[in-house]
Amino acid sequence: MCKSDRVTHTLDGLKETLVIFGAEFRRAVRSGRAVVLLGLYSMFSALVLLVIGKLTSDLRATMNERLAGAGADAESTARMMEETRKGVLGFLTSNDTSMMEALAQVPIEVLLVFKVTLFFLPAYVALMGFDQISGEVAPRSMRYLTVRARRSSVLLGKFLTQAALLVGLVLVIDLAIFVYARIANPDFGFAAMSLNLLKFWLAAIVFSLAYVALTTLCSSVFRTPGVSLVFNFILLFVFWLMDTVGRASGETGALRFLRYLSPSNYAGDLLHPNITEFGVSGAAYAAFATLFLLGAYGALRARDL
Amino acid sequence: MSDLAIELFGITKRFGPKVAVNGVSFSVPRGAVYGLIGPNGAGKTTTFSMMCGYLYPSEGTLTVMDVDPSTPGALKGRVGALPQDAVLPPGWEVGALLTYWAKLSGLATPENEAREALDQVGLLDAWKVQTQALSHGMAKRTAMAQALMGRPPLVLLDEPTAGLDPRIAAQVRQVIKDMKGRQTVVVSSHNLQELEELCDAAAILDKGTLAQAGSMSELTGQGAEFRVQIASGTVIPPELTTLPDVTDARMEGESILVVRFGGQAKPEQVISRVVAHLLQSGVLILGVSRGRRLEDRVLQLL
Repeated sequence: MCKSDRVTHTLDGLKETLVIFGAEFRRAVRSGRAVVLLGLYSMFSALVLLVIGKLTSDLRATMNERLAGAGADAESTARMMEETRKGVLGFLTSNDTSMMEALAQVPIEVLLVFKVTLFFLPAYVALMGFDQISGEVAPRSMRYLTVRARRSSVLLGKFLTQAALLVGLVLVIDLAIFVYARIANPDFGFAAMSLNLLKFWLAAIVFSLAYVALTTLCSSVFRTPGVSLVFNFILLFVFWLMDTVGRASGETGALRFLRYLSPSNYAGDLLHPNITEFGVSGAAYAAFATLFLLGAYGALRARDL
Repeated sequence: MSDLAIELFGITKRFGPKVAVNGVSFSVPRGAVYGLIGPNGAGKTTTFSMMCGYLYPSEGTLTVMDVDPSTPGALKGRVGALPQDAVLPPGWEVGALLTYWAKLSGLATPENEAREALDQVGLLDAWKVQTQALSHGMAKRTAMAQALMGRPPLVLLDEPTAGLDPRIAAQVRQVIKDMKGRQTVVVSSHNLQELEELCDAAAILDKGTLAQAGSMSELTGQGAEFRVQIASGTVIPPELTTLPDVTDARMEGESILVVRFGGQAKPEQVISRVVAHLLQSGVLILGVSRGRRLEDRVLQLL
């Protein structure tokens, strides 16, 4: 194939991908399933927000009460509260000073809710897209597509559809969390809210795209959507286990390297103010996404439809 | 550009230990309507699926419109396909789905192509109907319509009339007849009468192997035998074998006379001679038909 043929081939492939993405995205947005899943995840996030909001509020009230009982003045009470906040922030950021400084303005409930929702986001991604490929392979509707488009275009088009849906979903959830935090914390200014919303949204996107690619891989490997979903959950569990075992092994344990093979290991630095740390984390997620997508393409390319 | 639309050479397809298609070779000339014939499990749909690039052959070479169907994107714009058991994706209106697929095929006016194709199969009224709300027949016609969009040079149809009511089936057959000469059409079907009516040539498959391939005339023996339906009178077959070019004559049952003749002889001359002889012998004739029915030939082979 000469160079101009290759360019034409690539452009044609891109065009196919865009056509599939456009059509599938419109269908997904109109489908009841997208709305139901969005509603479910919003409800889950709201529940987490309410529980954490209530817990932090109760904790503050208890501390205020005890400090008042111990005869502490307003200044020492505020200092104690700030110390507690720093303690929690330190726990959430592994005591990284620059991260603690960067997140100083963000209400602690936002960070907690963000961490919890991020933990469950891969499961949501799996529920949303487990049948993106297998759902077309099992009833053979894929055959209508592959006679007029490359399998790679179908795969990328479907992946982009899921990714776009998730970008929108994460924005809705993050926006809701930040609006709540702004209402609950009058000190949390509009500028700080907007900037942090952008940072958190970006972090969630980078994080979740690798998991969208993982779901695409699972959906490409199996014919049956149900099996794809189960396998996806198994992989999520295995990654979580690798991360946990790796961390538990400490700095010298034989299994300490396991955590580097798990995407969740790199989540911590996604909110890092230092561009190098963020870049390494982002690159790790990009590498996972690329690896999963290549695997998905390999599986789909090799299989009979 | 080759004169052949499709060429299979030693094609084998295995699913684990099961051999679905075994060393099949035949070719489909451009512009022909070609039939794929065989009982259930003969390997028709597997062969069809390999032609469409859905399945990869385990062995052998396959060329479709001068390209290897397993090459990514190679069949785009060259082939329209109606897969037998592919379900239409749910959540789409028929018109929107066909327009999407026409766009994906790179057609210049996707919506017009979609409307035209739906009109061809008599389903334009279903433009706004959701795919999951279509009856079996309507879904089949929608699938047929997507195969026709853009008038691709090769149209592959797997069981195009299965499950359709007789009126719509006739309409579909007419669509296929209209493509004759302008497009190459491959039709896989159980309906041998339909294939005999539509096809110029066919391949007969059985248990994954090729039983016979050739023109319809060759398969039905139109150039080598004819049948005479006798109304009354006594036929003496040995007398007929003395006539020029007649190689064999025998009675099939009480009223059908089967006459075979040499491959070089002109059928009209042999038929005229035999009929004249019968009439002179006082035999009254109800009808004459050339060759044998495709169904008989297939039953004989399988």
